Amino acid sequence: MGNFSVITVSREVESLGDEVALRLAKRLGYEFINREKWVAILRDHRDSLSPDPPEEEKEREEWVKAVGELLQGMAERRAFVLLGRGGQKLLAQCSFAFHLLVVAPVPVRLRRIMQRYKQDEVTASRILAEQDRQRERFLLRFFGVDWRNPLHYHLVVNTAFYDVEESCQLVLEAMKRTSAPSLGEQASFFETSGFMERPVAFSHPSEEEFARILDFYGIRWLYEPRTFPLEWDSEGNVVEAFAPDFYLPDFDLFVELTTQRQKLVWRKNRKVRKLRELYPEVKIKVIYARDYEHILRKFDLEENHE
Amino acid sequence: MNDPRLGKLVFTWEEIKQRVQEVAQEIDEDYTGRRPVLIAILRGAVYFAVDLTRCLTVPFDLDFMALSPFRPGLRRAEIEKDVDIDLKGRDILILEDIVDTGLTLNFLVRSLERRLPQSVRVCSFLNCPARRIADITVHYFCFEIPDIYVVGYGLDFQGDFRNLREIYTLHDPSGRSTQILKEMGKGR
Repeated sequence: MGNFSVITVSREVESLGDEVALRLAKRLGYEFINREKWVAILRDHRDSLSPDPPEEEKEREEWVKAVGELLQGMAERRAFVLLGRGGQKLLAQCSFAFHLLVVAPVPVRLRRIMQRYKQDEVTASRILAEQDRQRERFLLRFFGVDWRNPLHYHLVVNTAFYDVEESCQLVLEAMKRTSAPSLGEQASFFETSGFMERPVAFSHPSEEEFARILDFYGIRWLYEPRTFPLEWDSEGNVVEAFAPDFYLPDFDLFVELTTQRQKLVWRKNRKVRKLRELYPEVKIKVIYARDYEHILRKFDLEENHE
Repeated sequence: MNDPRLGKLVFTWEEIKQRVQEVAQEIDEDYTGRRPVLIAILRGAVYFAVDLTRCLTVPFDLDFMALSPFRPGLRRAEIEKDVDIDLKGRDILILEDIVDTGLTLNFLVRSLERRLPQSVRVCSFLNCPARRIADITVHYFCFEIPDIYVVGYGLDFQGDFRNLREIYTLHDPSGRSTQILKEMGKGR
């Protein structure tokens, strides 16, 4: 199909991304690689690679390099559709990989979960939030990817408007029309310009300054990449949420900068406490005004925040 | 020293001498039969490096590194002064004055690991885990301090106070440092 012998499919939970990927593979006669197939491929590799990236940074870098080379080699010899597994990142530089993201609005996905698992709305909402969280965490932690960023993809399809067949048609049409894949070059550009993959509108100058300090020391970061639901109403709607300012994938750490004076901080402290209770596996560091002053003083910067 | 910017005394010279000696003994035991490369990070770690190395009995090589300080306009940290020793296969012990956020140290450790040493460890005069951002291990340290700003024994404020033999807080009108020190049984 055109220049593309590989399609990577990233998808939100219950967005029908799995069905679209499978249909595409059948339609094009491409090999379909889901998690099970992927595990087998890595196991049979000469170095017997682990199915998931290692926790340790150095080993993970080696793993990503080895798997990227493996996929690149596969892409040169055979055509396939890769479902998930960070394919959009691993093959970001591959000029014959087409990257697809399949999404759907939360109410639509909620309805699908309720039908599929025969659950009420509250339970379905919890299932959806948990599965979204796991997927997001995997990609952030191991690949440093804000995977919902549309700039990682050639095409984003919303299945609230198109069924599986129509979505496949859209993909095939887009693949035909995309004659000069340049996403790899684009990704490369973003990676060399700090870790920012899009212009970031910081809500406070101290956040921008902090981001510059992180860039300076080569620490990868994402700005407000994840919102944690903290409270739901009786119908399962999120009524309170918290989005920490930064996520540092290298340390699997969220950072919240709180440069307000202490008496204004209690509300944020309450949210952080709640987050720790609901998501005990999440590491979060709160940097208060005085901590931030120490950091600025250490780096000989002005203390001009309010 | 009579400077209005100085606050309370945190560690006396006697306390410092004793802890440096103890840490040197730990290093001696751990590096028996080896010859580590001690890399002191300029400028703050110089005083600590001098006193520590005088107490060591294991043979070692000593070298220095300096990083470009953070300043607006400079996008990435750079190594301004590098070591002259080939580090491949060597046991590196980084000497720091203080590890707080760990951002600088994390950068250094990653830079040094790319040179394929046998091992990289960290020895810091002060350790301040309360301010830590980067997940990094400090293998040896003389004192752990809470989240207070201190000077002396290599640690400066706007270039001053490095040459003090003791560790002091900076004058803190809020009284917070004094309160913390009281809880530590310190702060004369």
